Amino acid sequence: MVSAALAARPQLDPIPALAPVPRRTEIALRNVSVLYPCGRGDSKTVLSGIDLEIAAGEFVVVLGETGCGKSTLLRLILGEDSPTAGSVQVDGKPVTRIDARCGYVPQKYSLFPDRTVMGNVMYGPENARSGILGRWRPSFWRYRRELRDEAGQYLGRMGLRPQDLTKYPHQLSGGMQQRVAIAQALLMRPPVLLMDEAFSALDPSTRSRLQEQIHSVWLESRPTILFVTHNTQEALLLGTRLILLGRHLDDRSQRSNILLDMENPLSRLPFARRAQSPELHRIQEQVKQIAFAASSMDGTEDPAEFANPESDSQ
Amino acid sequence: MKSAFHPSDLVSVQARPSRLWTQSMSWLLFIAGIALYAQFSIARHKENPEDRVVPSVHQLAAGVKSSILEPAEEDDPLDPGAGLYQRLRHSMLWKDTASSGRRFFVALALLVPAILLGLHMAVFPYAGALFLRFVLFFDKIVALSLLPILFIIFGIEEWSKIMLMVIGVAPTLILDTCNNARAVHREQIVKAFTLKSGSFDIAYRVVLRQILPQIINSVRLNLKPLALFLFAGEMIAATDGLAYRIAIMRRHMGMDIILPYLLWVALLLFAVDAFLRFANRRLHPWYQPL
Ligand SMILES: Nc1ncnc2c1ncn2[C@@H]1O[C@H](COP(=O)(O)OP(=O)(O)OP(=O)(O)O)[C@@H](O)[C@H]1O
Ligand SMILES: [Mg+2]
Repeated sequence: MVSAALAARPQLDPIPALAPVPRRTEIALRNVSVLYPCGRGDSKTVLSGIDLEIAAGEFVVVLGETGCGKSTLLRLILGEDSPTAGSVQVDGKPVTRIDARCGYVPQKYSLFPDRTVMGNVMYGPENARSGILGRWRPSFWRYRRELRDEAGQYLGRMGLRPQDLTKYPHQLSGGMQQRVAIAQALLMRPPVLLMDEAFSALDPSTRSRLQEQIHSVWLESRPTILFVTHNTQEALLLGTRLILLGRHLDDRSQRSNILLDMENPLSRLPFARRAQSPELHRIQEQVKQIAFAASSMDGTEDPAEFANPESDSQ
Repeated sequence: MKSAFHPSDLVSVQARPSRLWTQSMSWLLFIAGIALYAQFSIARHKENPEDRVVPSVHQLAAGVKSSILEPAEEDDPLDPGAGLYQRLRHSMLWKDTASSGRRFFVALALLVPAILLGLHMAVFPYAGALFLRFVLFFDKIVALSLLPILFIIFGIEEWSKIMLMVIGVAPTLILDTCNNARAVHREQIVKAFTLKSGSFDIAYRVVLRQILPQIINSVRLNLKPLALFLFAGEMIAATDGLAYRIAIMRRHMGMDIILPYLLWVALLLFAVDAFLRFANRRLHPWYQPL
């Protein structure tokens, strides 16, 4: 059924393709799989057969139903988890631990509660500049003053008022917290930015303002962004490339979780025109269909499967 | 809109007492306790004016006066012309408070490494592997049963009492700090690493900073066990100290000293607790207790 849906995949290329520019591969996953132990010596496959190459400067949006392993994928690239098999590389070097090559905006708990907005945003650049022992030097203080100005400007552009800068995270609304978290990650100018459902807790208008902001940041400095979301429309508005993950069937097959990996045709339109594009709805529907076809293959929909849990373990 | 007080409000979950009500009600039991005591004491003194078990206000006042102005029995008497400052400095209460207080605060200072150990156990997996099981077991040893061993190792002087307090309270603090540090959201740690932190930055500048209010609260909860171990040590082997005095006075029914001492100890502990609570609020305005 999935393959039928995939075969029926429509031509999504009504706009002439730009001349391909050879670009450096920023993130590469080769035949990656992840299994989690789940009692009785058993294990559950979360990701399998993932082959992914992401070029520098791409804005990749990862879509997929809940529990299909989107966060797991990000954790692999971050270096928080290591794959059960396969290899993960960032900038040509294998990922073994978490470091500052990737910026990270988690969905929740994204700010240090014990630091003010300014303290949160300055934390990274201060670390990058000097170890804890070098902080008594006048040169560091000068740097800190400059940094404070820059951070202030940055936060201002993200829509925070000067009086917010001395507030603690619990005094901010969810939307403002998320803006600070994005500024915190961006001020490090990471080559890769990983965002895990960073906008999902926000109301629609805040959300669309933040979408615009993240898009303009991306246009300006062109980091490689991996953006996880549940929202197909958001994916189509933001990404240059869409990846649709499906839930692994856990049938010991090496079938890949990636149901769909395509360039986003809407990304060639100017950002402001994407929301009005007639293409938007059409592609949205198709992505939904593919996801639905895959999830009904999953078998969990079928009551017979619940009656006989052994039936899928051939 | 405030509505008038109605008796059924007393058992209503939804009652909204005014500030005046809550303030005055919070003193009610204190007043009742004092009234009850006074009644009891007056009744006993009617039967026997020399009663020492439930001392009268006069006896209590005399006890307080002698303990804050007179030196202890075992010390040399002051010359009668000594000034007020000299009297306070050499008084029994001051001497006992100073020596108990010194033990208490030395033990408290020695608990700082315990807190740091708990932090390291949570943050550094190898430290956790090395210490966790041992501390969990050590925690189950009844600290008082170690006293004879402590006497042998540290002598019956100061250090055995201080070590009893430290050993009695440290495991709780270690484990509590460890649990609190582990409960710091994983996102925070991952995020801090992506912001160029080293391991010690994570331990001290991310995790410790975040759990400091909880650590202070757990120290506050442990003030009582700390005092308990101090009293146990002082009652068993000491030549001065608040608990020593209470133990001595018990032998000849010196309730006029014991009661003020008991209240004084409670007041001191209450003050330390209030100070820590105040400091916590002041230093950590961001802390949102659940
Ligand atoms: N540490 C773990 N141990 C066992 N199973 C895990 C662990 N982490 C994740 N899983 C399982 O892996 C699967 C994928 O989890 P993941 O968090 O990546 O999903 P997700 O796609 O991000 O979902 P959501 O959209 O709800 O965030 C889930 O079924 C989860 O139960
Ligand atoms: Mg997730």
